[in-house]
Amino acid sequence: MLALARALNALALLGICGVLLVAFYWQLARGELPCPLCLQQRAAFLGCGLGFMLNVRFGSSEAHYGVVIVSALVGGAVAVRQVLLHIVPGTGSYGSALLGWHFYTWALVAFFLIALFAAALLFIEAQFAEGVSDWRPTATAQVLGWLFVLIVLGNAVSTLLECGFGPCPDNPTAYELLRK
Amino acid sequence: MIVLPMAVPFVVLVFAAIAAMMGFRKVAVWIWFIALAVTVYVFQSHITDPLKIAL
Repeated sequence: MLALARALNALALLGICGVLLVAFYWQLARGELPCPLCLQQRAAFLGCGLGFMLNVRFGSSEAHYGVVIVSALVGGAVAVRQVLLHIVPGTGSYGSALLGWHFYTWALVAFFLIALFAAALLFIEAQFAEGVSDWRPTATAQVLGWLFVLIVLGNAVSTLLECGFGPCPDNPTAYELLRK
Repeated sequence: MIVLPMAVPFVVLVFAAIAAMMGFRKVAVWIWFIALAVTVYVFQSHITDPLKIAL
């Protein structure tokens, strides 16, 4: 059961990295800049990823799952707010759709599933027996961890380029720091 | 009200992730908490008119 918990945490971290890389693909290859609420959802995904990364890097702890669940709740609140913003007929939507749903709708579903997943993992009590201090991270854990650091760094640089040193426009069309 | 740059939560999260990879587990959790607080602050400062009317 301990190995299962480790594998599921690594898988969840990999999944979150995948979500953020897909978002990057849409931003860089398709030229769709993320809106302020989209960016806050990305930050929440990064928070969820950090919780799973702490479990992968140091071993499982209730506090790490807390990081995941609280981040998912905050991200879910932001996603709900964006869905509600566009739910009224005639108010339009933001960005293109993926498999029929907009990204903020997918994000809402993802945050719900992440919180549920983390809560379900808490039932594997054997993972907490080893304690965080005795843990030696595997090479896979190190690679996954540094991949996650790179994704966080990429998001920070991208957001800084897009929004500059102020709040982002509601419908960003260009990178603020790259304007001539 | 002070409007924080949107990039602040991400910059703070970079420090949290690096702290975690350097082996500072508790420091990483505390930095994440700061990032969370900043994200919530940025979120509430971006509430626009339609939501204000709805609330």
